[in-house]
Amino acid sequence: MMDAGRHPNITLLTYSEVEAVSGYVGNFTVRIRKRARSVDEEKCTGCGLCQEKCPTKVIDTAYEAGMGKRKAIYRPFSQAIPNIPVIDRENCLFFTKGRCKLCEKVCPAGAIDYNQQDQTLEVQVGAIVVATGYGMWDPRQLPQYSYGLSPNIITGLQFERLVSAGGPTGGHIVTAEGKEPERVAIIHCVGSRDVNAHPYCSRFCCMYSLKHAHQVREHTGAQVYEFYMDMRAFGKAYEEFYERVQEDGVIFVRGRGAEVEVLPDGKLRVKGEDADLGRLVSVDVDMVILASAIEPQPDADRVAAIFGLGRTPDGWFAEAHPKLRPAETATAGIFLAGCAQGPRDIPDTVSHADAAAMQVVRLFNQGEVTISPTVAVVDEAKCVGCGECILACPYSAIARNLRGKAEVNPALCQGCGTCVATCPSHAIAGLHFTDEQIVAQIEGLLEGVLV
Amino acid sequence: MEKPRIGVYICECGVNISATVDVNAVAEMASRLPGVVVARVYKYMCSEPGQLMIQEDIRNLGLNRVVVASCTPRMHEPTFQRAVEAAGLNPYYFQMANIREHVSWITDDREAATEKAKRLVRAAVFRVPYQAPLEPRREPVTKAALVVGGGIAGIQAALSIADAGYPVYLVEREPSIGGRMAQLDKTFPTLDCST
Repeated sequence: MMDAGRHPNITLLTYSEVEAVSGYVGNFTVRIRKRARSVDEEKCTGCGLCQEKCPTKVIDTAYEAGMGKRKAIYRPFSQAIPNIPVIDRENCLFFTKGRCKLCEKVCPAGAIDYNQQDQTLEVQVGAIVVATGYGMWDPRQLPQYSYGLSPNIITGLQFERLVSAGGPTGGHIVTAEGKEPERVAIIHCVGSRDVNAHPYCSRFCCMYSLKHAHQVREHTGAQVYEFYMDMRAFGKAYEEFYERVQEDGVIFVRGRGAEVEVLPDGKLRVKGEDADLGRLVSVDVDMVILASAIEPQPDADRVAAIFGLGRTPDGWFAEAHPKLRPAETATAGIFLAGCAQGPRDIPDTVSHADAAAMQVVRLFNQGEVTISPTVAVVDEAKCVGCGECILACPYSAIARNLRGKAEVNPALCQGCGTCVATCPSHAIAGLHFTDEQIVAQIEGLLEGVLV
Repeated sequence: MEKPRIGVYICECGVNISATVDVNAVAEMASRLPGVVVARVYKYMCSEPGQLMIQEDIRNLGLNRVVVASCTPRMHEPTFQRAVEAAGLNPYYFQMANIREHVSWITDDREAATEKAKRLVRAAVFRVPYQAPLEPRREPVTKAALVVGGGIAGIQAALSIADAGYPVYLVEREPSIGGRMAQLDKTFPTLDCST
């Protein structure tokens, strides 16, 4: 993280989003919206005084996954890069009620700027890597897990914050009542491998659930009941890790954890089938950790539209070939890295990201792109300049030239032939797919069939 | 139009095509079509000897058009285009007829398959005289990359591209890079710290 922040070749654009992409492989123009931080990045020293003094506390649903609070002016976490806070304008007293300005008063650098506006910038690039990650599936969609009905039913991500030394409890595994749990249940495949939620396997939950079991045992000594369907310890040194956690004394129950019930005294009753014993089991615990599914980001539709990405039926961005071209997309020059393409753990993500980087570097080292000559061409003598082709072209490759005639930009044209079929004046030909070539082909096909 | 001198090559694809299509009958039909100088059958046209066969015919028989009837052009059209180009022919003087995915793999009816294969080959042979030489365009590449997303995937990709000496714009929606991984405590299976 720090390396990326300091690298002389990397320009960090945080709190920013890509709004539009145009162009083609080797020559993309990208419009980026840099949202107003309300803090001058040049002046801010990252001292953190503003955050300390800010009177407004907000439940942090992003970094702390709802487990902790942050201020209205904040850095998401202490090692944030860049080390510059932002004002959350929806919760800041000044932006909502027009008063306070405490951060401005305490800032020794005079860096607070309530009038800062969003900026739009445009950059030219030759290649794009889409590494937009995943979203968290909401366990409320399967009410049998009672998620949301007790603060002691948490997701795996929330447990990460609970056990993190930098988290809201300083790394102490405690229930909402502030006590160490005596019994903890971990339920695998919540929302994954389930036709009522996501049919796919989210791939890394088995392993983090084993890690959570280990951490609960190590930190609290609590009894851990782990409900699993299959243990997918597929990676290098993973099976050994599974063995190690078994030696920690975790009780493994083979079978899907079917239901969590919140009892009147606040205890949690987990019911499931123990497939090895062939009977229903239940256990009362103080804390339940749901290994909940991951899913495509909620705005994956918009991202797919901006970058021209396809989707596989499960919603993840589509690679060009599932085995041979895992980091490429159907659009030349646009690559995928990490979970945006599908669930994968950290080692696989790093490999995938390097595969995408390799594709980018390969393109740059070649230095030029070869563009297929099978494009559309306009016969200006026949073109009446009606503009039908301009409207029809899916790649925005046609424009009127100075003579008022349609002209195809061969770098943008994909040779699809839509304009050829659309042109009312028959003024456009598709090279390598001319009328006479196609007619001759049809004659060959039908010889002896039609007279 | 120059006088076409067409070579036609029917691929057996092991037995993928020849088990269903009477490849010799197809070649025999092709050899009698106007402009066809040679029509051959071979086990694997895409193999090195298969490609060499085409290249030698181009040189020795003065072929100026080539038709290969084999698999889908999505598979080997670039292979054969490169092969004819290496023998001095413009790659757009080449045409492919798909007699595997469109014929042998979709029926057990040998008679119908052979008839359809003949028609596809005839269509290609009729087409090639009208084909014109084309030259691909080359465009320079802007040697800078955009990486969208500052999680572990985006950071790793950005670092590798940057280390290779190219500028990278790393765009992240949140106020900090780090993504999901920055939220994690220790990571399996080594239990090392994630940030």
